[in-house]
Amino acid sequence: MPLVTIQPLSQPVNISGEAATFSAEVEAEIDAHLAKYPVMRSAILPLMFIVQRERGGYLDPPGVAYLARRLALRITDIWEVATFYSMINTEPVGRYHIQICKTLSCKIMGEPKITEHVCKRLGIKPGETTADGRFTVSLVECLGSCGTAPMFQIGFDYHEDLSTAKVDQILDSLP
Amino acid sequence: MRIEAIGCEPLQLARMHLENSASLEVYRQHGGYQALEKVLTSMSPDDVINEVKKSALRGRGGAGFPTGMKWSFVPKDSPKPKYVVCNADESEPGTFKDRYLMERDPHTLIEGMLIAAYALGAKTNYIYTRGEYKYLIDIMDRALAEARAAGLLGDNILKSNFSSEIHTHSGAGAYICGEETALLSSLEGMRGHPRMKPPFPAVSGLYSAPTVVNNVETLTAVPDIIKMGGEAYQKLGTEKSGGTKLWSVSGHVNRPGVYELPMGYDDMEKFIMEDCGGMKEGRQLKAVIPGGSSVYIMRADQIIGKDVRMDYEGLVAAGSMVGSGGFIVMDETVDIFESTKNLTEFYKHESCGWCTPCREGTDWLVKVFKRIASGNGRPGDAQLMLDLCDNIEGKSFCPLGDAAAWPIQSAIQRFPEDFKRRLISGNGSNGDRVVS
Amino acid sequence: MSAELIKVIINNKDFQVAKGARLIDVCREKGFDIPSFCYYADLALQASCRMCLVRIEKMPKLQTSCTIICTDGMVVTTQSEEVEKAQRGMMEFLLANHPLDCPVCDRGGECELQEMAFSWGNLEERFTEQKNYRPEKYLSPMVANDPQRCILCKRCTRVCDEWMGEDAIEAGGRGAGTVIGTYGGWLDCSQCGNCIEVCPTGTLLDATYRHQARPWELAQTISTCTFCSDGCQMSLGARGGDLLRIVARDRYVNGLNGEFLCIKGRFGHPFVNHADRIRTPLIRYQKGGRLIPATWDDAIQHVARNLDAIVDANGPNSLAIVGSPRLTNEALFALRKFATELVGTENYTATDAFSLRPFFENLGAPLATHNDIRHAATILLLGGEPEELQPLTGKQVRQAVRNSGAKLIVVNSVPIRLVEQSSQFIHINEGSLDAAVFALHSPGSPQGAMEKMGVEAKEFAALQETLTNTQGDIVIMFSAELSPAAQTILAQLPFGLSGSGRVLLHPLPLYNNSIGAHDMGMMKGAMSAAQMLAATGETIRAMYVAGSFLGTQLENNPDALAKLDFLVVQELFETATTEHADVVFPAASFAEVDGTFTNNDGFVQRVRQSIAPVHSSRPDWIITAQLANELGVDFGFDLSASAVFREIAATIPAYADLRYPLLKDESHPVQVKHTQAAQRDLSTELEQLKQLVSELPAEAGKQTVTPDVGHELFKPGTLTGRVPQFPLLAGGNPRPETLRISPLYQITKAIADFQLPGAD
Ligand SMILES: Cc1cc2nc3c(=O)[nH]c(=O)nc-3n(C[C@H](O)[C@H](O)[C@H](O)COP(=O)(O)O)c2cc1C
Ligand code: SF4
Ligand code: FES
Repeated sequence: MPLVTIQPLSQPVNISGEAATFSAEVEAEIDAHLAKYPVMRSAILPLMFIVQRERGGYLDPPGVAYLARRLALRITDIWEVATFYSMINTEPVGRYHIQICKTLSCKIMGEPKITEHVCKRLGIKPGETTADGRFTVSLVECLGSCGTAPMFQIGFDYHEDLSTAKVDQILDSLP
Repeated sequence: MRIEAIGCEPLQLARMHLENSASLEVYRQHGGYQALEKVLTSMSPDDVINEVKKSALRGRGGAGFPTGMKWSFVPKDSPKPKYVVCNADESEPGTFKDRYLMERDPHTLIEGMLIAAYALGAKTNYIYTRGEYKYLIDIMDRALAEARAAGLLGDNILKSNFSSEIHTHSGAGAYICGEETALLSSLEGMRGHPRMKPPFPAVSGLYSAPTVVNNVETLTAVPDIIKMGGEAYQKLGTEKSGGTKLWSVSGHVNRPGVYELPMGYDDMEKFIMEDCGGMKEGRQLKAVIPGGSSVYIMRADQIIGKDVRMDYEGLVAAGSMVGSGGFIVMDETVDIFESTKNLTEFYKHESCGWCTPCREGTDWLVKVFKRIASGNGRPGDAQLMLDLCDNIEGKSFCPLGDAAAWPIQSAIQRFPEDFKRRLISGNGSNGDRVVS
Repeated sequence: MSAELIKVIINNKDFQVAKGARLIDVCREKGFDIPSFCYYADLALQASCRMCLVRIEKMPKLQTSCTIICTDGMVVTTQSEEVEKAQRGMMEFLLANHPLDCPVCDRGGECELQEMAFSWGNLEERFTEQKNYRPEKYLSPMVANDPQRCILCKRCTRVCDEWMGEDAIEAGGRGAGTVIGTYGGWLDCSQCGNCIEVCPTGTLLDATYRHQARPWELAQTISTCTFCSDGCQMSLGARGGDLLRIVARDRYVNGLNGEFLCIKGRFGHPFVNHADRIRTPLIRYQKGGRLIPATWDDAIQHVARNLDAIVDANGPNSLAIVGSPRLTNEALFALRKFATELVGTENYTATDAFSLRPFFENLGAPLATHNDIRHAATILLLGGEPEELQPLTGKQVRQAVRNSGAKLIVVNSVPIRLVEQSSQFIHINEGSLDAAVFALHSPGSPQGAMEKMGVEAKEFAALQETLTNTQGDIVIMFSAELSPAAQTILAQLPFGLSGSGRVLLHPLPLYNNSIGAHDMGMMKGAMSAAQMLAATGETIRAMYVAGSFLGTQLENNPDALAKLDFLVVQELFETATTEHADVVFPAASFAEVDGTFTNNDGFVQRVRQSIAPVHSSRPDWIITAQLANELGVDFGFDLSASAVFREIAATIPAYADLRYPLLKDESHPVQVKHTQAAQRDLSTELEQLKQLVSELPAEAGKQTVTPDVGHELFKPGTLTGRVPQFPLLAGGNPRPETLRISPLYQITKAIADFQLPGAD
């Protein structure tokens, strides 16, 4: 009898397959970060932010492949780091990521009201994304605005001393 | 939000309210970079370290370790490059002082870092800022560019033969990366796990080269120390801890904010009740967490009429710690069970998962808190939580474990009524299940 | 190693311990039980499980004894209420989210966590909350994973990185959400399974053995691996007549490889009970006819009669005897004896890819053991690819560099993976290894050698400099693909090198008993296998082939065997050789026989019978002895391997003072004393080499891409080809649709479906 022969079901997960490509400006930005460190790997977080920004808010497989290639790392190294840091998304998020601080100072200064209001307005629960992919709401830990609580961050922008009225005004003003 | 000095001339806060205070121009108009000039022209590295020793400056990041001593641990003869790393991870709940220092006075930080770099012979330095503070990184980058253009950074600073570079670096959402060794792992592009000590960073830190990690506020204090001299700076504070300290105040006070007080300011009651405008809507003070969330919570009666001195020794005597100087003030409406649950959830979320007691302990504690909150508290739960805390405290790989245990231990001991209520009225099965 | 002693006081008792000793080791040595999970002597420190806490005077907190180096006068308490509470506390934490499924866990019964739970667990379970649920899944065809059982000691991630240099499995997530895994959930690596081995829990499991047996049902037999020349020690787990699994876990076996095994050693064994094994002796009564089952007596008589006739008619040299470097020393010795003493033919050999005869005849230094390699200061690797062909050697080299800062110099025409670890890589042209040996022997660029290798003279100058400046041992490793002349010169190299330490040699032959085949004299015959095949039908009329399918030689000369008057074959499976055989004897595999292998350290290690010979097969040396008997000569082996070995010791000088019973302890392997040659004049060899070098093509070129992990390991051979996982991996290790069902099951089912149309 011949040796067992196998019909592969699907292609092996060759993640380092198609890697994302970026514009010259972005590449320059990346080079600038790499230039800061004697060791390439040190630039992994700054680069993840850039890739995430360029790839629709999270590290998609081509983005991960790009990072592995650019930093000469194994795909597993990218994975272990990406999953450790809460600001690195490995899943898609909405265009506007509303991160409401839920830690003590904000909590006692009215965070629950804000969260309730935001969620009611968008019709989603914390951790969810609106159907149109515009908004994601998350509850996050202390963002260093305890003196101006309650607050949330949309993307990287701080919005402090929030009231439900102010929240409406902010959300209305979003393009 | 107030930003003001009380009981002393503003030092750290001196330039906070100036028009466009972040600009090099304004900074120089107000004596900026004179300290650096003085250092480069008339002081040896050892002079600098001695000055800092004399100033009795203690680390403002939380550990309160004497800064001059830390600097003197760096081996002079080491052939490896040396690094100064500024810890701007500021993630301690209730703490937001570093943020304003960088936002409104970035050049003081740069000057402080350069002086440290000169004292330690560091050619490359990093500012590790928490990822959420993206806008601060942009401000710092602009300031660094300005300084570079003005010959204050990079090669032959102020035409001296001293060259040193500063880079910003961004974290990505991990409280643990504020712990200095975890910060270094993260800066090397690894998961933010703490490292074994010894070797201490001063001996083997970033890229296993000698490294000094200092908090923002610690470094921004350095230029003043050089300008006024170590002794003068020390005299602003107490013998053991010199100078002034920034306190971030949040919660139920009328005037939350960042306050600069002389070390040893007395007393804490006056500070809360007068300087910070007293309690909101005239409600009763119930509890204060004075050092960021990672310290013992204090009952009002440990503060009222007790003239608690606001420095390391004073707060320890009063039953808590200075920590990062983040005051979280709570009035009678706050249920300490809830506030403790909230903080425990924070520590569970931020535990890096490296060591058993912290990883499993915080997970377990949160589950107990949630069960109790859902009305299934059991009489044994308080004891159980205390015992779990005891199994975490002092057994974890890094101090985060302790930081998670202390708030719970102190809350259960100092506010038993808030816990008992839940445990008795609990409609859940009473008594712990016994499996054998 | 300074033997300076210092005093430590443990639990009020004074002890003298070596300076620099690690506290946890000392405590255990002195009989104080210290629990631990993450501490693993051969891996980087972790100090994360916090089980090993002890009290040390003058230190503020309890300390992890795994991180403490003893200092003089240190006062330690390992047994006190405080310490025990801490240790029980950690145990309780580890068990909190651990499922209570020991009864269905493959590790149950040999699980470190379970054992610790017995000694450090509490009767009262205080954790009454929801456990964090994580589903079981497969990481690869070899590795099953039950993440919920993980205690995050990270031994797996460390062996993957430090031993294998692959870093294929890592920790992801944070806090209580931390999991051991990979991006995409699929494990793309050499599938060594060492992560399974070192896992103290049932988190990483042998997918090929899953749910097959409980450990206590298995008879554990310590034996030697039958694949490569490293000679790893392993434990064969059998139930009844079935070999179910192989492990190196040191509770069972403690050999030169520690807990290390490669994919072949660990997963290559299912050929043993494979349905294709030849079941009875077979006789082909006339050429072109079919092989017909026969009794042993008939078969033996039939063979004896025919060989007798042929030798009578054509003289002894007309009978060629061919053994295999996979056979035991005993089998090879019997064959040699059969050839030289009974038949008297000069034509006998073992079908190794290369003969190491010139090397051993000029041996200028002792063979390096794997331990020598681990602690060498400089390692020179000439050709070869240990990480694929001798994986244990590969691991030792990697650790010597990574953990002990050894210098590695790689001379190869292929940028093998070990180059990553090397301090110098001399990238020579295809097939110019001989020239490299030349250059090594005579520095100062010998005529044309550099050009032929396509390298610069200064590269070899740098190499020479490293060798001369070495503080400590130098180990020279070489793949056997060297010309006889080159082998001779290489064997004599040590005389030219005067370092501060020893110079040791480490050949890298391909088979588990290549060295034994040489030692047993099987390589001393007049012809190589290839030459024999060329002479079939002329001088060679008959062949007696044991356990060898003459691999490539036969491919180059396919109908050689058809030309024979008579062919006898001893085999496990029907192969290209048995196609033309007149008689086939079913031979027993390594798992079914007693005997010895000699590995590339020169260690003579025991092979032990784990299961009775399957079907009616018999050990090779017994078949040979019975054949001799039939031909009227009693080999006097009285049917015991030790008796054969007694005769080996009596007749082969290098084995003179070895005794079979004294080879029983795998943790103290015995090295044979290969006779050391004196330094001799090499001018003739150098002339030959010069000739060879001059004949080398000028532009041979070099391979520039690093070969894939597993390109050799996965190759389906006669043995591993019978294990479906190997072709699967060789086919690119495809990721199945779902990871919840055994990938192999999905694949084989796919094949079944795939074959259905062709059915009618
Ligand atoms: C869990 C944990 C979190 C910490 N977070 C911070 C932080 O956010 N910022 C900071 O400056 N120091 C932080 N520290 C203290 C640092 O480890 C270190 O002591 C400090 O940066 C040293 O600088 P200093 O001497 O100027 O205070 C943290 C420590 C621990 C254990
Ligand atoms: S899988 Fe096993 S060996 Fe690896 S970390 Fe988890 S428990 Fe340890
Ligand atoms: S064995 Fe010491 S901490 Fe795990």
